[in-house]
Amino acid sequence: MKCDEARKTMPLFLYGEHSFEDEERLEVHIDECAACRDALAREKALFEALDSAEVAPSAALLEECRAELRSRLAHVEPERASFWDKIRQGFSIHVHLAPGIMQPVGALAMLLIGFFGARTMPSSLLSWNSAGVAEPAASRVRYVEPVGSGRVRIVVDETRQRTLSGNLEDQSIQRLLLTAAKDPSDAGLRVESVDLLKSKPQSAEVRSALLYAVQHDSNAGVRLKALDGLKGFADDPETRRTLAQVLLRDDNPGVRTQVIDLLIQHRTDAMVGVLQELMVKEDNGYIRMRCQRALHDMNASVETY
Amino acid sequence: MLQATVAQAAVRMDEPELIRAAQRGDQRAFEQLVRAYDQNVLRLAMNLLRSPEDANDIYQEAFLRVYKNLHAFRFDCSFHTWLYRIVTNLCLDALRKRRVRREENTVVETSEGLLDRMDTVEESRADGDPQRQLMSRQLRKRMQEVLAGLTPRERAVFEMRHYHGMRLRAIGEMLGTSEEAAKNCLFRATQKMRSGLGDFV
Repeated sequence: MKCDEARKTMPLFLYGEHSFEDEERLEVHIDECAACRDALAREKALFEALDSAEVAPSAALLEECRAELRSRLAHVEPERASFWDKIRQGFSIHVHLAPGIMQPVGALAMLLIGFFGARTMPSSLLSWNSAGVAEPAASRVRYVEPVGSGRVRIVVDETRQRTLSGNLEDQSIQRLLLTAAKDPSDAGLRVESVDLLKSKPQSAEVRSALLYAVQHDSNAGVRLKALDGLKGFADDPETRRTLAQVLLRDDNPGVRTQVIDLLIQHRTDAMVGVLQELMVKEDNGYIRMRCQRALHDMNASVETY
Repeated sequence: MLQATVAQAAVRMDEPELIRAAQRGDQRAFEQLVRAYDQNVLRLAMNLLRSPEDANDIYQEAFLRVYKNLHAFRFDCSFHTWLYRIVTNLCLDALRKRRVRREENTVVETSEGLLDRMDTVEESRADGDPQRQLMSRQLRKRMQEVLAGLTPRERAVFEMRHYHGMRLRAIGEMLGTSEEAAKNCLFRATQKMRSGLGDFV
């Protein structure tokens, strides 16, 4: 190996991406060439310097990302596998044909399955009951798959009601309540769920759901219930930040009043600015009075200058 | 979702089982998958884009895409490769757009003066030695300049190989190219690094 080649391939050597033979050749050359030994030492120093410049995301950023993803996923439905996806998965055939060709090919395959299936299966097996499928109240075929000898396996989604009961401490019960607390279609369900959850605000997941409801729920009743659950956390910085935002944004006077009640439990300097800002835009006489009194108690002026 | 308690309480499954469960709509399985990979995804995005806000955007978009399209995952490759393919493509797009907009600078103007947003992130090997911290800051600044000179692909290959320890073969697979092409990218990247940072070491 010559020096040029040795220098050129040093990074790959340090990354362990050399083949056994190339590594051997370089090592032999390094043993014999002092200049390349120095060059390799410099290359190693560069690698170490690069190591030290790596940035690691902070734990706070990771938590922020997770919280945002959590809230975004609550409003996103995963796309269901299409009929053709499932057929392709069922067959485990990965033929890369143009999309325009795939559908006719798949359709032909299904026709053949149906045709041969019907020819080879005893007619008694084609009835619902003998196939062991009880007629559900609501069902949808989700998956079909040939299983050999003309038989077909079919996966059916059935909508059934189940009654669950359990303690609020139970994680699965809590999870169902957390889901129900965000059900966009039923405000009554959200009120009931938040009402139950608010007795467990010490759980970070529940507290996060209460904060979410206070900020985002379209129903004032749900927001008030959630505020009720946050009473014990009036000194928690994250809760206070959220409440300050709600105070300046919420269009319901009842919610704003309750938020003021919570915030003034722990008077802080940051509160003064929030209350002064509220005074600038608040129309409700009662809230203005509460605000003025709170500012007065904190020896702060009612207006900003 | 995504709460540690849930992840801990969830039954431990191996990855293919988790993926199948998530494909059937099992939220807990999806949470476990996210938890298994999200730190590294964020780290990769952070190192590639060098901006906490952009890294967060990539994190969100990547996992939302995974969530929406998990039904289409057919085990043709490992989940890790599939996920990283999504992440690196998003990062490459962001880098390309940024190149067009020439927004490589991390320094922003705030009410308290100029602030380098990268000062708000943790250095992986930060220690209490002020001289080392100064050196590290200068090196980071220079690295920022050198990184800006790499093409998005060179940058992606370099980050994945140097900081994530991925093999070039896997990197090639993720970027939809050959191992040889990834090797050439890495080679060019390290050459540029050497000429840009050589007097620092």
